[in-house]
Amino acid sequence: MSEGMYAEEPAIEAYGLGMRYRRGWALRDCSFRLPAGRICGLVGPNGAGKTTLLSIAAHVLQPTHGSISLFGGAPGSVESGRRTAFLAQEKPLFRRFTVAETLRLGRELNPGWDQRAAEGIIRAGNVPFDAKIGTLSGGQRTRVAIALAFGKRPDLLMLDEPMSDLDPVVRHEIMGTLLAEAAERGTTVLMSTHVLAELENVCDYLVVVSGGGVRLAGDVDELMSVHTLVTGAKEGDGMPPALGCHTLVESRTSGRQFTALIRPEGPVTGPWDTNAPNMEELLLAYLRSPDAPPLITPTAQVHGQGFGTGAVAA
Amino acid sequence: MSTFTRSSTSTSTGSTSDGKNGTMNATTTPADRRPRLSGMTWLVWRQHRAAFWTILAATVLSVAWIVYQRGQLVDFLDGYGYPGKSLDEAGGKFQQYNDAFSFVSTGLQVIPILLGVFLGAPLIAGDLENGTAKLVAAQSMSRTRWLATKLALAVLVIVVSTGVLSAVFGWWWNPVKSEATVMDWTSGAAFNTTGPVPVALTLFSVFGGVAIGVVLRRTLTAMVVTFGFTVVLQLVWGYFLLSLGNVVTVTTNKGVTGENASPSLPQGAYQIDQSYVTGSGDLVGWGICSESQTDAARQVCLDKADVVGWSVKYLPMSQMNAMQWFGASILFALTAGVVAFLFFWGRKRLV
Repeated sequence: MSEGMYAEEPAIEAYGLGMRYRRGWALRDCSFRLPAGRICGLVGPNGAGKTTLLSIAAHVLQPTHGSISLFGGAPGSVESGRRTAFLAQEKPLFRRFTVAETLRLGRELNPGWDQRAAEGIIRAGNVPFDAKIGTLSGGQRTRVAIALAFGKRPDLLMLDEPMSDLDPVVRHEIMGTLLAEAAERGTTVLMSTHVLAELENVCDYLVVVSGGGVRLAGDVDELMSVHTLVTGAKEGDGMPPALGCHTLVESRTSGRQFTALIRPEGPVTGPWDTNAPNMEELLLAYLRSPDAPPLITPTAQVHGQGFGTGAVAA
Repeated sequence: MSTFTRSSTSTSTGSTSDGKNGTMNATTTPADRRPRLSGMTWLVWRQHRAAFWTILAATVLSVAWIVYQRGQLVDFLDGYGYPGKSLDEAGGKFQQYNDAFSFVSTGLQVIPILLGVFLGAPLIAGDLENGTAKLVAAQSMSRTRWLATKLALAVLVIVVSTGVLSAVFGWWWNPVKSEATVMDWTSGAAFNTTGPVPVALTLFSVFGGVAIGVVLRRTLTAMVVTFGFTVVLQLVWGYFLLSLGNVVTVTTNKGVTGENASPSLPQGAYQIDQSYVTGSGDLVGWGICSESQTDAARQVCLDKADVVGWSVKYLPMSQMNAMQWFGASILFALTAGVVAFLFFWGRKRLV
């Protein structure tokens, strides 16, 4: 993406963000920075706090710890309310409204409404404009909800599991629309999912939350380049000692083979095959080993990370 | 809040839009020329239009019925010669007009309960339950504005419908207002259906329902609890109704058995209590000498107790208006408290 233009301004900055309920932490000590103009995948197992994080950013929930700023403003401020769009997981819509009325809702309540973009998304799915929302299929309803989020012309679009009830063809088509629109306007997209295949070729930024905290955050290319997938013959129990000088993310053995994802601290030498991991391998390794040391690349770090010091102006 | 625009934005289907213009604003159809709701007002009206139109339509029908009934009543009274001739002698002929009053006043008295349960409870609980509160919160306008618009439109519809019904019902009742046989002014049938009382009772019931819905976040539960709340409100209101007035006490000193011994109360006065008064000013129950067999024995008994006359406590009908406004202002103040709570709560947990 157009990195030089947007890399300076952060779309999101979270400082020690936490959400604690009576039954425990839903999100804990979450600090990261998302530069503007990126398509960011928010990845994590079920219950990792993805929805909580997005809900806090969308001013649906109040965090119990820490703070988050959107383009330098607090969630719920007029400015961030206008510049961000949020599509909740359950994709709520008024069931008795027609599709046209739902788009009118967007037009009436948003000053920068783009009727053409919204209608384009509806028409691409052949959803009739005079149909009541309650009569639509799940996929059609998702399409209307996405059109509503898109028509707002946000600078930051936050989508919580947006594609979960779309078939692969529609998923591909909507994702294409989303990427084209985002690229055209430099929209920052933060999209949660646990379908890892959805992210390949879509995201150029990643934030992995697991166990309530950030495990991995940063530019996709950078993250890929600092990891190496090592495959070789198993020698005794555990890992070969020669790999001990590298940061181990995850290792697995199958039969007489072992596979390890490492962050090399120097040249990897030994009788092993080394490959660059693909995104799915990288994410799976981190998701399977919650104890692996977290990695937050410099572009994803916030100043004074880990301390809730309030919003910092962009 | 209720901004009207002449916006020509068409909501027709995609087939009429032209791709070049993009926003479909190009054409102005004749139907668009009338003023249209816009912004948040449009959304809230659109969402609750079925309820709002039902309330307004029911109001119009009721008003038409009352106007017709009043015409019938006035025709009868003119033909009968009222007020020159007492209605007590009319007997069965007046019964149908009497029944019409009790029928309509019963209907008016259940309005606070009906609107509390079917308008108040689901007003925001429905959005919290279906997640549409999140949808609205995700748009550019503040949720305080959303809450304010919802409450304002509800107030508007309630005040218009109950205000008009109250005024028209009072107008119907006015010719026979002093006839306690038609409606006793201290009864709920008259007191709760005229003046500011229907408006105040309905507003408090509905806003109580809204608050219950906001706290419980479930429409059906909120409706059930609101039903209980509104019924209890009616009971409490009925219990304290007479306390709203200043009780007037009248005493006599012409004995208690004579022809003109009882004090004369103004017409339509509501008698609360009566007892005998003694020479020293003490009150004694009027049953004190009822066991005496003969009038002479009774007189002896009364003389022995030093009973000199009656003491009667009553509320004059002239107080009705003041009592209604006093009670209504208490309800309005409570409603304002509920509104303050809603805005306070809405800033934190309205999604």
